[in-house]
Amino acid sequence: MTVTAMSVPTQPGVREQVSADEWQTRVDLAALYRLVAAEGMTDLAATHISARVPGPDDHFLINPYGLMYEEVTASNLVKVDLNGEKVMESPFPVNPAGFTIHSAVHMARPDVACVVHTHTAAGMAFASVETEVLPLSQTAMQFYGRTGFHAWEGISTDLDERERIVRDLGQNRALILHNHGLLVAGPTIPASWVLIFQLERVCRTQLEAMAAARAMGTDLVLVPVAVAEKTAEGFDQSLRNAAEGRTNFDWDAHLSALDAEDDSFRH
Amino acid sequence: MSATTALRNAVSVKDQVSDEEWALRLDLAGMYRLAAKHGMTDLTFTHFSARIPDADNQFLLNPYGLRFEQITASSLVRVDMDGNITLDNGHSVNAAGFTIHSAVHMARHDLQCAVHTHTPAGMAVSALPQGLMALTQKSMRYFGKTCYHDYEGVALDLDERDRLIEDFGAENHTMMLRNHGVLVCASSVRLAWTRLYTLEKTMQAQLLAMASGAKLRLPPEEACAKVAAQWDKGDDSYRQDGWDSQMRLLDRADPSWKH
Repeated sequence: MTVTAMSVPTQPGVREQVSADEWQTRVDLAALYRLVAAEGMTDLAATHISARVPGPDDHFLINPYGLMYEEVTASNLVKVDLNGEKVMESPFPVNPAGFTIHSAVHMARPDVACVVHTHTAAGMAFASVETEVLPLSQTAMQFYGRTGFHAWEGISTDLDERERIVRDLGQNRALILHNHGLLVAGPTIPASWVLIFQLERVCRTQLEAMAAARAMGTDLVLVPVAVAEKTAEGFDQSLRNAAEGRTNFDWDAHLSALDAEDDSFRH
Repeated sequence: MSATTALRNAVSVKDQVSDEEWALRLDLAGMYRLAAKHGMTDLTFTHFSARIPDADNQFLLNPYGLRFEQITASSLVRVDMDGNITLDNGHSVNAAGFTIHSAVHMARHDLQCAVHTHTPAGMAVSALPQGLMALTQKSMRYFGKTCYHDYEGVALDLDERDRLIEDFGAENHTMMLRNHGVLVCASSVRLAWTRLYTLEKTMQAQLLAMASGAKLRLPPEEACAKVAAQWDKGDDSYRQDGWDSQMRLLDRADPSWKH
């Protein structure tokens, strides 16, 4: 199916108003919204993905409230400050309450370029049982000892909660929000894409393995701690490589896949 | 009439109904298409209904025999509380669907829309003694608003309406139909869709969590009640569930629902 830019609500003229770096961030972030949608990790108009605008200002890009992720484009992303207030004119509304969790992470972690938060069934289930990320698969080991947990406090409306989110995330790359969902914080947009894709899979895999083991009355086969830690350190290095521009995790392949289906995210 | 014939020969009823009814038909047809898109259908079975705003004793129901992705605004069937078709468009309704939906519309004039599904997650939760648990933040949207109705066989007996109405009560918006599925209601079609979508996802999460065998992190009931009130407040005021965006996406794939 070919989709023209005309069929999605864009904001003409944005490209001319922003720096080349910001425009690239907008294209990449819009692509990430589309990838998350393509993997079925959306929740209607709820949840957000945010990215830091390159440069000295604490400015961030976030989705226009009320659009499905399939309609997010480079130009309709809204630029906001740490309080979720618009810093550039936009006809699209934002949901400042939904930005609270994101702003907490961006305030505390300037090394984080992109924060992804989801409400998937597997993510919510994982976040609602007393467990932690087990060294159960190679995929899981990138989160082994690198995942924080945040106790449930009700719907996040309290700005004080930001301090506790920051404390619970620490220097980790993932945060399990109890009874609520998942969050990843990566050094680049492509890194955050890989992290959320993999964390989703980790949650589902672990829940399925736990269920099967329990039904059969067996224990899970876990990797020894030293091996898990060594493997996790390898993943630490690949995130450092991403931060330093040595890998983009085959981002072009993902963009090509999107382009083949619907390239309106670029507008 | 076969489904494809129905689509090919469909005559628009837009000129035969009020503007309000036409707008409602568009919303309801759109919701059928959304349910199909999100895999929440059961072939041609299950039903979504909406009360006509300017004719309180009548409601719209799906044309029996069409798949949800074939339903259009004009093909929806308008019936009264006795099951009489009040606008002939060549379609008929399903008797069991009529029983369940007419019960809601007879008893609860604050609810415009009722949706009923047979998804695996809904059937599974309906068959668990715990029913729907207040486990995820999302599930609290249903906390204190969910009731249960025991299974009596396929709902062909209009007597069951009395028991459905009694079990539904005056405050609930969601009913777990034991050993059968879910029934979700709301003051508008759009809110009913969001509640249905959210319920489906929270039930999937509950089942995954329960099956894992790990101890559940059940929040205190007091907190659940507080969050339930926040959900209601959001539904009544600021919350955007992106209906227009969803309709544009339907149009991209197939705009025939608007016919």
